[in-house]
Amino acid sequence: MSEASVYPEPNNSFKNSKRNVLSVIVDNEPGILARIVGLFSGRGYNIEALNVTVVDVKANLSRITLETIGEEKVIQQIIAHLEKLVPVHSAINLADLKESYEAEISLIKINYENEEQNIKALSLADIYRTRTVTKKGGLIIYEISGTSERVNKFLDDLNNINGIKVEIVRSGPIGLGI
Amino acid sequence: MSNNLEISGAQIVLEALKEQEVDTIFGYPGGAVLPIYDALFGQNFLKHILVRQEAGAVHAAEGYARSSGKVGVLLVTSGPGATNVVTGLTDALMDSIPIVCLTGQVPTHLIGTDAFQECDTTGITRPCTKYNYLVKDITKLSESIHEAFEIAKSGRPGPVLVDIPKNIQLAKSTYVSKKSISFRPHRIKSGAKEISKDFIEALISHIKKSSKPILYVGGGCLNSGPIASQKLKEFAELTNIPVTTTLHGLGCYPGEGKLSIGMLGMHGTYEANLAMHDCDLMINVGARFDDRITGRLDAFSPNSTKFHFDIDRSSIDKNVKVDFATNTDITHSLTSINEYIRSNNIEFNHSQFNPWWDQIKQWQSKDCLKYDQSKEIIKPQHAITRLNELTKNKNTIITTEVGQHQMWAAQYYKFNKPNSWITSGGLGTMGFGMPAAIGAQLANPDSLVIDIAGEASFLMNVQEIATAVQYKLPIKIFILNNEYMGMVRQWQELMHGSRYSESYVDALPDFLKLAESFNAVGLRAKNLNELDDTINEMISVDRPVIADIWVDKTENCFPMIPSGAPHNEMLLSKYDEEDPENQEKGKVLV
Repeated sequence: MSEASVYPEPNNSFKNSKRNVLSVIVDNEPGILARIVGLFSGRGYNIEALNVTVVDVKANLSRITLETIGEEKVIQQIIAHLEKLVPVHSAINLADLKESYEAEISLIKINYENEEQNIKALSLADIYRTRTVTKKGGLIIYEISGTSERVNKFLDDLNNINGIKVEIVRSGPIGLGI
Repeated sequence: MSNNLEISGAQIVLEALKEQEVDTIFGYPGGAVLPIYDALFGQNFLKHILVRQEAGAVHAAEGYARSSGKVGVLLVTSGPGATNVVTGLTDALMDSIPIVCLTGQVPTHLIGTDAFQECDTTGITRPCTKYNYLVKDITKLSESIHEAFEIAKSGRPGPVLVDIPKNIQLAKSTYVSKKSISFRPHRIKSGAKEISKDFIEALISHIKKSSKPILYVGGGCLNSGPIASQKLKEFAELTNIPVTTTLHGLGCYPGEGKLSIGMLGMHGTYEANLAMHDCDLMINVGARFDDRITGRLDAFSPNSTKFHFDIDRSSIDKNVKVDFATNTDITHSLTSINEYIRSNNIEFNHSQFNPWWDQIKQWQSKDCLKYDQSKEIIKPQHAITRLNELTKNKNTIITTEVGQHQMWAAQYYKFNKPNSWITSGGLGTMGFGMPAAIGAQLANPDSLVIDIAGEASFLMNVQEIATAVQYKLPIKIFILNNEYMGMVRQWQELMHGSRYSESYVDALPDFLKLAESFNAVGLRAKNLNELDDTINEMISVDRPVIADIWVDKTENCFPMIPSGAPHNEMLLSKYDEEDPENQEKGKVLV
């Protein structure tokens, strides 16, 4: 396992991965998420990941980050339609930026049956520099953050341990450009 | 009104409408809007038009808006009142018509309890409005209504809905004037402010290089206001470029003007469609490359450089990729371009396009709109031709329903000025025309307003005759009666082996008796020698008229680009055979 595969660079990973991660600044008002989700579902586009949080309490702004799949033409249309929505301030595709930084946070619960599984999981958790959130009799919850690619790899490696049960929650990718 | 006087929500609604200079409102009362109706009682600045079903209110508001350039306003109750306007809101969204729809809602503490006449109005109308509000706080009511008007008319216009719970209508607060509200700029989407010099220069240099240019003009030119049409005419005449218009663009350039080559698209003229196909430079002014216009996309105008003026950025590169685009307002764009041409003394060599005009004239010589008028039976095309002839010196506004009669109206009636043609293009809403005529007549009391109708469409909102009678609106319903849903029958003939499944309208009412029962005037023309007299009488009667014109039952609307076919494979008459491969592909299209 190479260093690079465990710690992929967080910068420009959107551009390099050809994913479409859109970052949308909106007025935090009732119905805004429904408007955005409706824009996708009404046109048959799928949302792969979605993250919504207030980012400016005073100005009442939220940032919505969402990942979708589509050809460039479709993504351009989605952005134009997003910008047309009244409460939307701006919508950008992070992959279009010169420089952008990505992160995702994930909590992973593991149930193991024997010590061998535990040791394997511990060693992976160490390599990936996860944080142990809690650990009690046969159960561990890890927290891992970084690029989606890094989280994916950790999960792949964990799933290769025979017999352990894994439960996952992921924030989905978020990102900022400069 | 003094700033600290507390008034009810219902009175705030009326104050806001007053400040917005609304003089006419279409509506239908019900439990959840009674406080607003109570406030309407006894005031005299606002004329309320009581329709007979809420669908009539929204189409009337559309007709009012389209013919006046103002925002159309309607007021309906919660639940069924709101759901009945959904079609009309969608219609206004598709055709970019500014509407403000006020709906009553159950009181806030009952929302979500399945209360009587409760529905999720903002949820249902979210995809069919530009924006909507559920006002849960009385202090936000004034601002919401004023912002609704701004949003409805700015950028690409459209419908906005304000849902007002009954307790908010009864609660008290101070009225906030439009003048003291600063609208947040990101919420009022107005397009770009300035057209770029690069765009203007590119356009001029492409015109100079071009040998086969065309101006393709749509409803956006209309929505930009009356100056836009003047500037368009100026621009076309400076450059000598042929002009074709979409269904909604009719009248933006005079239909009988020397550069006009008629409407384009599925039932457009032979010359307009071939010119679109063969051109080397296409200048799209306020049209959206709709599927009725483009025909088969991969064969659409294959060799042209395309310029696109559209205030709605999401319409640019949506269906057809263009080479140059600007999302500035058309009046501004065309004014800037014309000024640039003048101030830089740019001369266009009109003879440069002579071979192109010769080619167009050759196509025109096919006379694609010719029809054989028999001695007895009235051909529908002839009925429109006569209507045009007998009304052309009058100040006429035409509305239509949807179907064959609509296309014949577009083909055979000559529209020489903007805002005189009101039709449901994008959504294709049957039942649109009569209520739209009511709205148009209210906005233009001195105009002759005629709804060119089919008998099937007319019956969809027939109840609105009562509205016309009640308010003494002398609208004329000119029914081309062929006893069929004509366009459905035509498609069944062309694409489904003449299996006329459910397209014959049996048990039609007697339209004379129908008119009489509503206290309107009924007229009928059964054959050719009755046609002109019937039209003349219809025009001269100063009351609502239903004119039942019996036309050839089997006539089809040509020319036609069948769905799935490109522009240069038009059917000119029933004797033309459609390419069977296109026919199969076209079947899945609409």
